[in-house]
Amino acid sequence: MDGTLLFQSLVLGVLLGGLYAILAAGLTLYFGVMRVVMIAHAAFVILAAYLAWWFHRETGLDPLFSMVLTVPLFFVIGVLIQRVLITRLRPATLTMMSVLLTFAIALLIEGLLGLFWSGTQRRVQLSYSGDNFEFFGARIAVVKLIAFGLAVLSLALLFLLMKKTRFGLALRATIQHREAAQLVGIRTDWVAGIGFGIGLATAAIGGTALSLDATIYPSLHWSWIGPLMAIIVVGGLGSIPGTAIAALVLGVGQSLLQVELGTTWAQTLFYVALFLTLMLRPQGFFGGRLAQRF
Amino acid sequence: MAKRRRRAVSWAAALSASVLLVTACSGDPRGGDEDVVLIGVSLPLTGDFSEPGKGVQRGYEAWVESVNRDGGLLGRRVELKILDDQSAADRVVQDYEALIALHEVDLVFGPFSTRLVIPSARVAEEYGMLFVEPAGAANEVFEQGFENLFYAAPAIANDHYDHLADHILSLPEDERPQTVAVASMDDPFAQATAYGLRDRLREGGLEIVVDEEYPPNTTDFSSIAAKINASGADMVVGGTQYQDAVNIIVQLQQLDYQPKLAAFSTAPTNPEFSAAIGSRTEGIVSPTGYTPDAPFPSNVEFVELYQEMFGTPPAEDEANAFTTGQVVAAAVEAVGCAEQGECQERLVDWLHENEVETIVGPLSWDGQGRPEGAHLIQQYVDGEIRIVLPGETREAEFLYPKPEW
Repeated sequence: MDGTLLFQSLVLGVLLGGLYAILAAGLTLYFGVMRVVMIAHAAFVILAAYLAWWFHRETGLDPLFSMVLTVPLFFVIGVLIQRVLITRLRPATLTMMSVLLTFAIALLIEGLLGLFWSGTQRRVQLSYSGDNFEFFGARIAVVKLIAFGLAVLSLALLFLLMKKTRFGLALRATIQHREAAQLVGIRTDWVAGIGFGIGLATAAIGGTALSLDATIYPSLHWSWIGPLMAIIVVGGLGSIPGTAIAALVLGVGQSLLQVELGTTWAQTLFYVALFLTLMLRPQGFFGGRLAQRF
Repeated sequence: MAKRRRRAVSWAAALSASVLLVTACSGDPRGGDEDVVLIGVSLPLTGDFSEPGKGVQRGYEAWVESVNRDGGLLGRRVELKILDDQSAADRVVQDYEALIALHEVDLVFGPFSTRLVIPSARVAEEYGMLFVEPAGAANEVFEQGFENLFYAAPAIANDHYDHLADHILSLPEDERPQTVAVASMDDPFAQATAYGLRDRLREGGLEIVVDEEYPPNTTDFSSIAAKINASGADMVVGGTQYQDAVNIIVQLQQLDYQPKLAAFSTAPTNPEFSAAIGSRTEGIVSPTGYTPDAPFPSNVEFVELYQEMFGTPPAEDEANAFTTGQVVAAAVEAVGCAEQGECQERLVDWLHENEVETIVGPLSWDGQGRPEGAHLIQQYVDGEIRIVLPGETREAEFLYPKPEW
């Protein structure tokens, strides 16, 4: 492998890792706050990508502006899903049943996307979709950089929210010990609802970022949910910094392996990492000391 | 647990009983109407292949309409008996047995997709029926030893690029592309198209510098693009379906890779393609088995009739279905019979020995039913996809080297 290709792959891997990080952030939050395995997260990501595509087609404005609508919308949907559906699951079987419930939601979203916009594969046509600039011999695509910037920005905001605000304190308390949090007067029900809403809002951002540089179709979410689940387990369930690091490591790893081994084998990286994590460090490699085993 | 299982068994029994009942009721053996040629088809109208399945159905319906307007087959009205196989291989077998034995159809047409063509062709073979099919271009269809099967399209997947390969190899040595990068989806059809071209170019002395394969669920194509870019190949060949082609092309553009020739299967002929990539399609090449603009005489009539019936121009699935009808009709008219039994053998023999004029040009077949033609080569020229090869059918000059994208 020559040096330019190696560096180019490294750059692509970092950019890809950023996208993985924002797509996986919500997943780890749901699990951290509520022990919910949210299979429908990737379906919501694709839904947001479709909304961005539709927004661009109808208004002619840049798809990034669609976030003004989709982020609040997804936040509300998230709160509603938690308050109306998830709370009805019995606490003893919550994790398992949430898989079934959110699986159904994923199927519903996929079906509705097909109904409204058909199975035709779509792509936002951007005047700058092929634009790029040189960076020490490697090429960086503008759309990938925007997606990466969005990811960094929103993850930083999420991190500050968790660490520096009263709400973040309450959220972390709820993650750490629900009963204890209730004892000190935290309304954990609402904290969980808002936590879920924030998680889904990240899906809106991630989906918009994805729409800039991907061809989308209703069943695309099944290709995403597996790798995203692997990322949050490797990163330590419930840990946002852990997820971000795992996403970067796996993104770069995948990108480099693709060059050496080809795409088919590079994809197994996620599952190899998942197996190794479950065997050696079930609580995850980064952070994640609070998470339990499944 | 035991109780639950017993209940499940009784459910299954009740379900299969009702299925039997429904099948029995829906069977309407022919009432001895000798003025009708009844043609049986099973199509995936629901399930995975429902979109192309319905396209094939429209093509068959357009053919029936066109034949009946001209006075039918051998003076008899043509009617279709279509069953829905729900895209399932076990259903398709059942359907063709029912069509032949129960509905006593005079002729059968093939279903959609390679996966369903093989099992249904086997049934047709057992009953000695002529089996002309509109889908199933992959090599394995023709390696099953079927003698009654004919594929009603210009070429099998491996030969799709033949005109392009001929053209490249006809160029003087120093004008040819020297190096080729190939990336193909792990899919029998997509691979067959790309590898058909790759192997011919390799034999012709071109160097294959990248040969990548990726699974159908791949979401990230940037590394494949980086590899192609790093190789600096003169020519890139994509064995692609749709989204993978679009993604690879955009990723290559993001890396500022400028090949002299870029050939991708399937995607560029899709109307959504230019909506996705915009103006940066210039020079992209793709093989196509059908275009509404093809100059063959019956095609002009077909496109007109189809527009009138469905309001849109026909696509490849519709055209292949119509071609299937044309092929069978030619045999029936020449031999002068359309019924089960010894007549079918004469139809098969006739098709093995003759050439048929169709909307995709003249078709003839080898002993296994492989059509002996090649696909037209289209290229984006001045923002529109046009036929550039072979010379006699071209609508525009072949652009080589292609303009920058």
